[in-house]
Amino acid sequence: MSAIRLARVRTNVAKPAPVKVRGLGRIVFLTVTSILMLVPMYLLVVSAFKSQQDILAHPFSLSPDLLTTEYLQKAWTNPDFNIVKGYAVTALFVVSVNLLSVALAGPVSYVIARRTEKRFRVLLLLFVAGTFIPSQVLVIPVVYTLKYLGLMGTIPGFVLFETTLTLPFSIFLYAGYIMTIPASLDEAASVDGAGKHRVFWSIVFPLMKPAVVTMVILNTFSVWNDFVNPQIILGPGSGLYTVTTGVYAAVSQYSTDYTVVFPTLLLAVAPLLVVFVLLQRHVISGLTAGATKG
Amino acid sequence: MSATAAATRLRDRLTTASMVGPALLLFVVMLVVPVCLSVYLSLTDWNGYSANPALVGLRNYFDLARSEEAIRAGWVTLVIAGVGTILLSVLGLGFALLVNGASRLNSIFRVVLFYPHVLSALVVGFLWSAVLGTSGVVNGFLTTRGAEVLPFLSNPTWALATLIGVLVWAGFGVNVVLYLAGLQTISKDLLEAARIDGASPRQTFLNVTLPALAPVVTVNLVLSLVSLLKTYDLVVSLTGGGPAGSTQTAAYLILWDSFHNNALGFGSAQSVVLMLVTGGLALTVARLRSRADQGVKG
Repeated sequence: MSAIRLARVRTNVAKPAPVKVRGLGRIVFLTVTSILMLVPMYLLVVSAFKSQQDILAHPFSLSPDLLTTEYLQKAWTNPDFNIVKGYAVTALFVVSVNLLSVALAGPVSYVIARRTEKRFRVLLLLFVAGTFIPSQVLVIPVVYTLKYLGLMGTIPGFVLFETTLTLPFSIFLYAGYIMTIPASLDEAASVDGAGKHRVFWSIVFPLMKPAVVTMVILNTFSVWNDFVNPQIILGPGSGLYTVTTGVYAAVSQYSTDYTVVFPTLLLAVAPLLVVFVLLQRHVISGLTAGATKG
Repeated sequence: MSATAAATRLRDRLTTASMVGPALLLFVVMLVVPVCLSVYLSLTDWNGYSANPALVGLRNYFDLARSEEAIRAGWVTLVIAGVGTILLSVLGLGFALLVNGASRLNSIFRVVLFYPHVLSALVVGFLWSAVLGTSGVVNGFLTTRGAEVLPFLSNPTWALATLIGVLVWAGFGVNVVLYLAGLQTISKDLLEAARIDGASPRQTFLNVTLPALAPVVTVNLVLSLVSLLKTYDLVVSLTGGGPAGSTQTAAYLILWDSFHNNALGFGSAQSVVLMLVTGGLALTVARLRSRADQGVKG
């Protein structure tokens, strides 16, 4: 009896101590890692407000005499790269691809999730196989397909191709998600006389919100950040550039003039970073939800 | 009676077709046809302009097997994908364990670990090349302090290591999030039972957490591998494939050969090989892992 009690007392006393030390060590380690993770972003922000000489001689300094908005203004009014137009064009692509992707992937995922015939399993496999095809590999033959269709260098051509790239993972995620929604719900609606399209859009689709939000977030990042596809499909001839292709044009020729590089990069990342910081909880939980469903 | 039944069935089929059709049509036109076109082009000597490219059989593939440049790019890609996948998975799981649990501090750490993923790879490359380049911020700082310049991007071995380091910096946050999702699905009862049975934290991790995470590990490995095998944007902005081609990846060389060298047939042959290798490696990893998962369960 007393031995048992003694043991219990000992564990009660001994346990909290190592946990606390480990907890403090954990926080110190994570804090140091976080600071290291943020160093490049800090350099990006402060260097956008400094002269070339000060960037190199005093990279970390935040002294007010070094800081100026001159270079940022120059980047904002760069005649070779109109950043506002870059934002507008990119935002247009993001919205169009998201709308089209949901409109196309939603109904087909519904059919795949609800029908048991083998040909619909094969259809799902066909779509999912698309995930393994590197888009940089695809862009070469797509150029010739788009030329044949008369869509090369056009907004519809680019939006259709980017939408196609979103289909494999969207359909995989949506179909998996719809399977968790009871089919009795849509049966009840169809008994009431609703057609399949109606059942999908007014009963099932509203219930798929978490999966759709996840995909919209992922698609927004991937369209906004894409470089090779807009660079090749829109090309210099079309006069259309996104934030990334504009940055490439503006930065690659002046890669050692840091008074051009840093302000331009800051303007390029600022909108997405602001959106991310505001929505970070939804972004991370959306990705988490996507991962557990998939 | 049967006429109306047939009409109903027809209408049903038309409805299904109208739901499947648009997505399938786009997928076939923009993905299946181009992939087939790629296979066809790989058998020709097309330069991108001539009206009638000649069929040359497997010549492009034989050339590929003999091309030192392509073989080097293949190895560089495999090194990036192999080393990168291991680092992403280990760091992803390690940090997921460290920031698991709901606290305000943990959510801040998660955001900081994840944020580079929001930036485009092109911007990340330009940023790091401004920081680590020969005349960049770090070396500029070292020079003004009278220290020697470090060859982050100017020595072939360093440049490849820097490229992998930046890929890991930018990408491991995603793995952290995926592992966190997996950790949340582990039942609290199981962890509690292990604790009551007197398992040490290390034993609990090896015997409860890790087996339960097996499917997430597979997803992480496959996703990291597939995304690293297509490394392109970062090469363009960080190293430009240099020094001396030491950081040219397969995707970089494919686009270079196709659009700068006008060797579309040869570029397409490389594309076909890259597609096969990507699909093959992803399936192999998935299959090996599914055997490992079953081994754990059985």
